[in-house]
Amino acid sequence: MTDHGTPSHRIVVCWKWVDLEGDARRAGVSAADEAALETALAMTASLDAPTAEVVVVTLGPPETDPVLRRALAAGAHRVVRIDASVDLPSDRVAAALAEAMNDELGGVDIVVCGDYSPDRGSGSVPAFLAAELGAAQALGLIQLTVDGRVDASGAPVVRALRRLDGGRREQLTVTTPAVLSVEGSVATLRRATLAAELAAKQATIDVVPGPRHAEQHADSIRPFRPRTRVVPAPEGQSALDRVRALTAAGATSAHGETVTLDPPDAAARIVSALHEWGYLES
Amino acid sequence: MTAEPVAVDVVVVGAGPAGSCAATALARRGHSVILLERGPFAGSKNMYGGVVYPRILDQLHPNWWEEVPIQRWITRRSTMVLTDSQAMTVDFRSQHWADPPYNGATAYRPDFDHWLAQKAEADGVQVVTSTTAVGLLRDEAGRIVGVRTDRPDGDLRASVVIACDGVNSFLAKEAGLFREHQTAADNYTVGVKETIALPRDVIEQRFGVRGREGVDIEILGGTGGVNGGGFVYTNLDTLGVGVVLKLPALAAQQQRPEEIIADLKAHPAIAPLVEGGEVVEYSAHLIPEAGRSMMPTLTTDGMLVAGDAASMCLAAGIWLEGVNFAMASGMYAGEATADALAAGDTSAPGLAGYERRLGDTFVLRDHDKLHRAPGLVLSDRVQHQYPQMIANVVERVFRVDNPQPKPGLRRIVREERKRAGIGIRDLARDAWTGLRSFG
Repeated sequence: MTDHGTPSHRIVVCWKWVDLEGDARRAGVSAADEAALETALAMTASLDAPTAEVVVVTLGPPETDPVLRRALAAGAHRVVRIDASVDLPSDRVAAALAEAMNDELGGVDIVVCGDYSPDRGSGSVPAFLAAELGAAQALGLIQLTVDGRVDASGAPVVRALRRLDGGRREQLTVTTPAVLSVEGSVATLRRATLAAELAAKQATIDVVPGPRHAEQHADSIRPFRPRTRVVPAPEGQSALDRVRALTAAGATSAHGETVTLDPPDAAARIVSALHEWGYLES
Repeated sequence: MTAEPVAVDVVVVGAGPAGSCAATALARRGHSVILLERGPFAGSKNMYGGVVYPRILDQLHPNWWEEVPIQRWITRRSTMVLTDSQAMTVDFRSQHWADPPYNGATAYRPDFDHWLAQKAEADGVQVVTSTTAVGLLRDEAGRIVGVRTDRPDGDLRASVVIACDGVNSFLAKEAGLFREHQTAADNYTVGVKETIALPRDVIEQRFGVRGREGVDIEILGGTGGVNGGGFVYTNLDTLGVGVVLKLPALAAQQQRPEEIIADLKAHPAIAPLVEGGEVVEYSAHLIPEAGRSMMPTLTTDGMLVAGDAASMCLAAGIWLEGVNFAMASGMYAGEATADALAAGDTSAPGLAGYERRLGDTFVLRDHDKLHRAPGLVLSDRVQHQYPQMIANVVERVFRVDNPQPKPGLRRIVREERKRAGIGIRDLARDAWTGLRSFG
C-alpha cells in the first residue's frame, strides 16, 4: 500500500469498466465516467489547495488497469482497483465501492460518478452507493462547481446544476457526504501530456480484494434496452379507431401532478406513485 | 510553462509489424525506445486481409508459431483466372505447410500486430498508444532530432526516428525522402475487403480443409474491368473476400469498389463459396504497389524509413507479400540504428548499414529482381486480354464438338490470341519480361 499522506480535500471518482465485446482491448468506461473525472479535476483545481486530490476507484479484473492508467495520465492523483469480477449486481458493486472508500480512503465527502455506463446505463450504482455511504445523491447533473468555501465539516461547498424536463434547470447546494452523477456532455476528459502518459505506465495501482464470486452470472453483457410491454389488443371497428385506442390520440391527457415536499416525503410519494402506476410490485 | 521534451534513444513511429520489430531489435541492444501508435492498441487501425509469411520471425522470436495468433495455416494455394462467365483455377496443396515451421497464414492483424507489440513491450519498449506523430523535430542545422506528437507538451526528442507510419508516410514525405513521381496515384492500388462470417464447419467443407488448415485464392480478373485482382482467404469462421484496384483505373471507370466486390461475390465460381455468409466488416486501404521504383530514399540524417512507409510491398502476381518485408525491414532498421548509436554516428552515412542489410537479404534482392513484375501484372494485356484468351483456349480444348474432330492446340492458341487482339510482338515482349522477372 502506498503512503499517500492526508490530503486537504479528496474527491473520489467512480468508474465502471465495461467489456461489451469480450475483448479487453476495446473495453472502457462511458463518456459520462470520463466527464466525472474531468469535473472532479476541475473542481480540485478550483479549490486552490495544493494537497487536494482526486482518487479514481473502479471494480474489475487486471484488464482494467490500462483504463486506470489513463486516469492517472489525465491527472488523477491515485487509483484504486477493487479486484473482483465485473458481473456483480449493482448493490454488491456499490457495497464493495463503499467498503473500499471507508477502509482504504478513510471515508469520503464527495463522490462523482458518470450518469450511465456503457452496458445497462441505468445509473443505479450511484444510488446504491449513496445508500451505503449514508450520503445525499443528485443525478442528471450538468455542472458542478466549488468556490473555495467549506461547510462545518471542512468539506467544500458544492453547487450543482441539474437538468429537468422541459428544458428547465434546478440549482442545488450539495451537503456532504454526497454522491453526484454527471452527464457525459458536461466535459471532455483532458488529453494527457506525453510525460504524464509515460509516468502513468510506471505508476502504482492500489489493488484491494473485492467480493470473489457473483451470486448471479451474466451470460452476456449488452447495452440496456427496456423490456417489451404487453399491451392488450385494441378495440374498435375501424383501423383508425384501433390506432386511436392504442395511441390515445385525441384523448384529453392527464396532466402531471405538482407537489412540493421535503426530500424524505418526496421520495415516499414517488415510491407510492410507482406502486400505484404498476411500476413497482408490492 | 512548457515542460522539457521527453527524450529517448530512438522513437519508432507506428506499431505495425515493421515498428514492433524495429523497436524489439533496439531494446534488445539496450536502447531506450518509444513506440508510438495512433490507435488505442497496436493493430487497431489495421485493415489488412492477406496472408502473413512470418518465417523472418525466426530471428527475433524463435518458435514463434507456438504463440502467434493466426487464423489458419495456408495449405492450399489457388490462382484463379476469371472472365464474366468462365473460371480457370490452378490449385496446389501441400501438407508440408500444415506443420512447423509452416509457410503462410491468414491472420487478423489487430491480433497479430498486438502480439508483436506485446513482445516488444516485454523486451523493454515503451508503447505509447492513442498518440499520433504529427511532424518532425529538427535542430538549428535542420537535422531530424525527434517527432512532434498530438499530445500536449508532446515533443519527443530522439537520436534517431524510425518511420514505420505506413503507406502514404507523412513523416517520410516531410523529410523529403520521396521524389514526386514516387507518390503518383499510378503507383497505388486500393484494397477493399469484406469479412464474411460463416460457420467453421461450412468453411472447411466448402474449401476442403480441416483443423487449422486454410486456403488462399488469388484471382486475376473479376474486377469489373478495373486493373487489379481479387482474393478469397479463409479465416477460422470468416472469409476475407475483396479486390485490389488500381487507383487511376478505378477513378476513370467511375465504379464503386463495393459494387465490384458484389459482382465478384455473384460470379458463378465465387458465389457458392460465400453463399449464406453475413458481412461483418468492410474496410479499405491503400497499397504501395509499384515496388522498387516507388521506394523513397531510405535514410537521412537521424531518420530511417521501413515497412509500407518505404513502399516495401511485393505485388508481383504470383507473390503477394508485405508483412514479411515490413518485419524484416523493421528488424534491420533497428539493428542498423543500434550499430549507429554504438558508433556515435546517426547521420545518413552512419545509418547506411540499414540499406546494406536490406541489399544483402531478400528485402531488396526480391524487389530488385522483380522490379518489372508490378508493371507487367497490372498492364492492360495481363489484366484483360490474356485472361480472356486463356479461358477461351481452355474452354475450346475441353469442349467436345462432335462430329467435329478435335482441333490442334496450336491452332486454338493462334485463333484465340488473334481474337483477344494480342499481337505476336506484344506476347513475346511480355513473355520476355516475365522470364526476366520470374525466371
